[in-house]
Amino acid sequence: MNRKKGDKGFESPRPYKLTHQVVCINNINFQRKCVVGYVELTIFPTVANLNRIKLNSKQCRIYRVRVNDLEAAFIYNDPTLEVCHHESKQRNLNYFSNAYAAAVSAVDPDAGNGELCIKVPSELWKHVDELKVLKVHINFSLDQPKGGLHFVVPNVEGSMAERGAHVFSCGYQNSTRFWFPCVDSYSELCTWKLEYTVDAAMVAVSNGDLVETVYTNDMRKKTFHYMLTIPTAASNISLAIGPFEILVDPYMHEVTHFCLPQLLPLLKHTTSYLHEVFEFYEEILTCRYPYSCFKTVFVDEAYVEVAAYASMSIFSTNLLHSAMIIDETPLTRRYLAEALAQQFFGCFISRMSWSDEWVLKGISGYIYGLWMKKTFGVNEYRHWIKKELDQIVVYELKTGGVLLHPIFGGGKEKDNPASHLHFSIKHPHTLSWEYYTMFQCKAHLVMRLIENRISMEFMLQVFNKLLSLASTASSQKFQSHMWSQMLVSTSGFLKSISNVSGKDIQPLIKQWVDQSSVVKFYGSFAFNRKRNVLELEIKQDYTSPGTQKYVGPLKVTVQELDGSFNHTLQIEENSLKHDIPCHSKSRRNKKKKIPLMNGEEVDMDLSAMDADSPLLWIRIDPDMSVLRKVEFEQADFMWQYQLRYERDVVAQEESILALEKFPTPASRLALTDILEQEQCFYRVRMLACFCLAKIANSMVSTWTGPPAMKSLFTRMFCCKSCPNIVKTNNFMNFQSYFLQKTMPVAMALLRDVHNLCPKEVLTFILDLIKYNDNRKNKFSDNYYRAELIDALANSVTPAVSVNNEVRTLDNLNPDIRLILEEITRFLNMEKLLPSYRHTITVSCLKAIRILQKNGHVPSDPALFKSYAEYGHFVDIRIAALEAVVDYTKVDRSYEELQWLLTMVQNDPVPYVRHKILNMLTRNPPFTKNMESPLCNEALVDQLWKLMNSGTSHDWRLRCGAVDLYFTLFGLSRPSCLPLPELGLVLNLKEKKAVLNPTIIPESVANNQEAVSNPNNHGPLIGFQNIEDDHLIKETATSMSIHQQGLKRKADMPLGSPLEPGQILEKNEDSKVKLKIRFSNSQEEEEIDMDTVHDSQAFIYHHLNMLERPSTPGKEQSSLELNMLPLQAAPLSAFSKESNSSKHSDHHHHHHHEHKKKKKKHKHKHKHKHKHDSKEKDKEPFAFSNSPASGRSIRSPSLSD
Amino acid sequence: MADTASGGSSGSGTVTADMPRDTFRGDRPAHGSAWLGGPANPPPVERSGGKHSTTPADNYYLARRRTLQVVVSSLLTEAGFESAEKAAVETLTEMLQSYVSEIGRSAKSYCEHTARTQPTLSDIVVTLVEMGFNVETLPAYAKRSQRMVITAPPVTNQPVTPKALTAGQNKPHPSHIPGHFPEFPDPHTYIKTPTYREPVSDYQILREKAASQRRDVERALTRFMAKTGETQSLFKDDVSTFPLIAARPFTIPYLTALLPSELEMQQMEETDSSEQDDQTDTENLPLHMSTDDSGAEKENASVLQQNASLSGTRNGEESLIDNPYLRPVKKPKIRRKK
Repeated sequence: MNRKKGDKGFESPRPYKLTHQVVCINNINFQRKCVVGYVELTIFPTVANLNRIKLNSKQCRIYRVRVNDLEAAFIYNDPTLEVCHHESKQRNLNYFSNAYAAAVSAVDPDAGNGELCIKVPSELWKHVDELKVLKVHINFSLDQPKGGLHFVVPNVEGSMAERGAHVFSCGYQNSTRFWFPCVDSYSELCTWKLEYTVDAAMVAVSNGDLVETVYTNDMRKKTFHYMLTIPTAASNISLAIGPFEILVDPYMHEVTHFCLPQLLPLLKHTTSYLHEVFEFYEEILTCRYPYSCFKTVFVDEAYVEVAAYASMSIFSTNLLHSAMIIDETPLTRRYLAEALAQQFFGCFISRMSWSDEWVLKGISGYIYGLWMKKTFGVNEYRHWIKKELDQIVVYELKTGGVLLHPIFGGGKEKDNPASHLHFSIKHPHTLSWEYYTMFQCKAHLVMRLIENRISMEFMLQVFNKLLSLASTASSQKFQSHMWSQMLVSTSGFLKSISNVSGKDIQPLIKQWVDQSSVVKFYGSFAFNRKRNVLELEIKQDYTSPGTQKYVGPLKVTVQELDGSFNHTLQIEENSLKHDIPCHSKSRRNKKKKIPLMNGEEVDMDLSAMDADSPLLWIRIDPDMSVLRKVEFEQADFMWQYQLRYERDVVAQEESILALEKFPTPASRLALTDILEQEQCFYRVRMLACFCLAKIANSMVSTWTGPPAMKSLFTRMFCCKSCPNIVKTNNFMNFQSYFLQKTMPVAMALLRDVHNLCPKEVLTFILDLIKYNDNRKNKFSDNYYRAELIDALANSVTPAVSVNNEVRTLDNLNPDIRLILEEITRFLNMEKLLPSYRHTITVSCLKAIRILQKNGHVPSDPALFKSYAEYGHFVDIRIAALEAVVDYTKVDRSYEELQWLLTMVQNDPVPYVRHKILNMLTRNPPFTKNMESPLCNEALVDQLWKLMNSGTSHDWRLRCGAVDLYFTLFGLSRPSCLPLPELGLVLNLKEKKAVLNPTIIPESVANNQEAVSNPNNHGPLIGFQNIEDDHLIKETATSMSIHQQGLKRKADMPLGSPLEPGQILEKNEDSKVKLKIRFSNSQEEEEIDMDTVHDSQAFIYHHLNMLERPSTPGKEQSSLELNMLPLQAAPLSAFSKESNSSKHSDHHHHHHHEHKKKKKKHKHKHKHKHKHDSKEKDKEPFAFSNSPASGRSIRSPSLSD
Repeated sequence: MADTASGGSSGSGTVTADMPRDTFRGDRPAHGSAWLGGPANPPPVERSGGKHSTTPADNYYLARRRTLQVVVSSLLTEAGFESAEKAAVETLTEMLQSYVSEIGRSAKSYCEHTARTQPTLSDIVVTLVEMGFNVETLPAYAKRSQRMVITAPPVTNQPVTPKALTAGQNKPHPSHIPGHFPEFPDPHTYIKTPTYREPVSDYQILREKAASQRRDVERALTRFMAKTGETQSLFKDDVSTFPLIAARPFTIPYLTALLPSELEMQQMEETDSSEQDDQTDTENLPLHMSTDDSGAEKENASVLQQNASLSGTRNGEESLIDNPYLRPVKKPKIRRKK
């Protein structure tokens, strides 16, 4: 593992430097969804005896590897395919997470590892010793990729181009290895030559400059030649091929936009704004856009809404919109701006290691925030900041913290920075998606904190400095050592900050970057009349999970009669109380205007306030300069003053939330005033609607007048002459549009004394629907209508049910009948005149689910299931799936849960798969402490299989499965499982929780035993556990003669003390000794087993890999073991037909062989182990294979 | 006499009855006493209009015509004829009628010339003189001995002036207007008649109507669709009350979701054509890489030109957009074999 220390520059974890890579895709077959091509990497050895080259590659089939035109042997081994091998009864999530982290580490390019190991032909050794250039040429193909490249092939008539078939690269973090062999690290930069031969009707869009397009000889295809001269990491390489329509940006001719056929008018409108974003970033960064061109591609079934790659971004086609759509416009613009910010930081400037990720995410998020402030205004910006802050606070308090800059030093288990989480944060690929989202959110919030500290000017100077260094470096074509200037590291960034600003921000970094958690303040105050002093008490909770102690300055703003005053308090260890002298006397001013913070002077009606005190309101940390949650107590009239007169939207929103607890006429008045005030920020007004509904419900017995908001709505949006009829739609004023949309939704939440929605309100909403008339409107009203349906759904209350009668039409509530009538009509009309993004269908489906849930309509998932099918628009599918998820929970339906899980495995759209898991996690059918008929062994096995092997093609999906498993069963062994019957014992070494060291029944032990042997054929067996089990039984019975002490260490490489490793030893029958280690047995020297990384996949293509002394220093032993001569013909057969069950007999056969060998060489492994343990500090991630695979033949050579 | 006149003047619109009535009015003074007993056989008048002799106006007309025929017949008898062909009588009747009509017309002209509404004797005299009739002979003629006296025609039912048009009562002339001036027109021609309710409630009803109409159409349409296609139902026991059109997956779901419906497109064009124009002005033409796989090069070239001309017009300068995606695709090099 590569560890960066302090100011040291970048040290490559690899014994070579990559300078140039060619990717050539000769053929893309949409029908069969396969890709054929080659790559050629130009590398310079940096050590004399380089003999192995490790590259990343997943799911590619590699035909041939040549190094400088000489055939080279290679091994392909991907331990992440199946994380835990055949631990058929091991169902402990802790165990899994450790094993998964280890598997990812084992191929982590940032640690110099990779799935593909190429042996440098011996003829070239001399050449290498002179550090001369090597060209590695790899022919590969991809067949029906499950991740990395996504094919969209609509099933209609016509040629592929006519059908709109397209393919694009996708994935989470560094996922380029899924579609071509490369060094899939953000820190290995090189220049690129990219060639794609595609159908003449298609366009291939990729990174860098399109140099030329040439027809093939038959004129039926053309080849797109791209050159990317700016050194770029493989992870930032992307591709999109399809019959795209091309639009050259009319403002910037070097920018080209691509969309699918027929969408060009939308594309024009959508991208017409992009040039302004460009201008903005270039201006604030005082730096030109680093690439010579930029391309945006809008694709269907996108993996994420927006993905940024070098000089190109891939967006979801669903972001396109016409000029008639209001709601989507700001969202799409934000995505465009976000993507563009990442072009500078993320694509052009890349990260040195995973722990530096926060800098890039932070900077891109921060400049995106600046753009937002400029485009949407300060109010929107502050609202956004507050929202993000609230989110991160909630998340951290829930999960125990988000760590921006994890340092995995020392290797002490106790230091594991994320022990509170159920996944490892060492790698991006082991992270929960939600965690990563929050991570990005926190990163830019922290960047904002830094700005607060050093000023925006310095901040921008720092960015400019980073960019100019990088662009200087990037122009150094032949000095690839300079390229590391294009990588940003935490230390480098901090150094730049201190150089530029001269300020020490170390405490800030320590608090928010090197440490997880947020601060939780409780504030209250008393006014001391005698001393005219405000006695403020600020307590902190720093014991709950996810909280930390804050020491340092804290700003408090006090609005008094004479004006607004800022005070900076020093929060210290022991002081809770702070005395703040007041400036004003409590006496009532006579008709004097009250100055506000922004200099404005206003008249206030002061009759509500306490006559003795001059305090109007108090705010703690108004600038959000601490990542905190504040619970502050002040009187209701103070909140009301704050709502009415404080000009900061954040303060207004805070006061609205606080007022929920004060259902009084005064609160009501304050809220209605805000609602009516046109100058007030529309989001505040929208929030006030909901608060007003809540207050009205609390005050239901004393409420006078019409239902809340009704008269207001009538006044604002209805005809003067006939107040029950809404005006014909005119959405020119967006603020009132948003208010018009929101008010009915909030009104529908009103309840009368019987806790029913007042009839008056329902009639009102039905009238709004009835009289809705959009004929004269310039904008589409689909979002408005959708919200009216939401309002109808909000008005639904649980049905009064007489002894569980069956829901039929006859006993349908008349109000519900009216609602159903509308929903039916809307839903049917959508089939004939679909609305933009089918917003109305989405709302209808949600409403139907609510009707079902409240017992008005029979609960039945059939409708949703039909809408959830592939072929519906993705928004509809998600809404329908959400309803099914909810049904699964409420009705505890095992069948639906199975249906959902099947979809997770089989759905063609990665986003939907991910989303189902996500929704199941958020709304789980049961949780770990709950008794549920759904929780049974089969489900545990199914989910386990899913995360263990079923999701190996998609990091995000696998993490989603892990999240779900955690939600359902928790960290330990699921309670629904019987005690393990097998002799496998798992011991967690975590000192906090020692999990049950269970019994070891002796009889079945050999089953487990045998399991570890077929491991070596992992990829051949594939994911088919059934078959494995079958095999296991066979082997177990037939092999007892060859019993040996099988050893395995399940999760971690031996040498790594970082993770709570489990040590498993077992034995079969009487001949074999059984060692069981309990949680306290940490002494490695006792363990006579390999540091087996048992999740492996091998593809052997070449016989007789040549022997050569290893590259010193790194990976010695493990490498050696990985080099497996491919001697047996059946093996090569395997490699060609992996995953085929026919070959189980072959496995069997080899199994025997290996067993024998293993026995012979057992002692050698002991020896080897010692060797390993010596190196373990250097080599935490080294791994070697079980001797069983036959490679132990080679062990003599390494032992001496 | 007076009421016929007034009937005539007011009935200027009733074209069919006009001429005969004038005629009749005109001939009265001339042949004031000339009604003699005529041949009893009424001339079989067959006019085209006579078929529906049931209407009072027709009856009246027929009676007049018959009277004229009697007059002609008696004159002929006076002159010594014993019989006459029907056609001859008809012709003579026609001539008499024309003559009398002319007298009436001219007399009316003369009287109007002198700003009166009713002709006087002198008007008749002037008229006759003008027509070349020797007025002096008239008294002698009137007193001739052998003249036949014709009985007065039976009083036929007076033509009923159509009541349909009278709306309200005609206003009497104020005192300063001489009585001979025409009467005021019917009140409906100048008085506004409130026939609707207040416009305020009008809006409400319109909205109401528009809303319920739309709703009815929508419901009918969706129910029809539901009836003709597959449906889903919220209630197991009842599929007809809330029929839901079955969810049908699309092959390309994003198209329907993102593209505005035709209705919306139409609306968009109507509501803001100006803004739209602005936008299209500043944007490039679609650089459409079409989906046909042939002729891509040509197309690229044309696109390039298009683009160039566009940018030229926009910036007023010949700045070619140099975007690599617009460049033509190169032909394969010969050396690049395989």
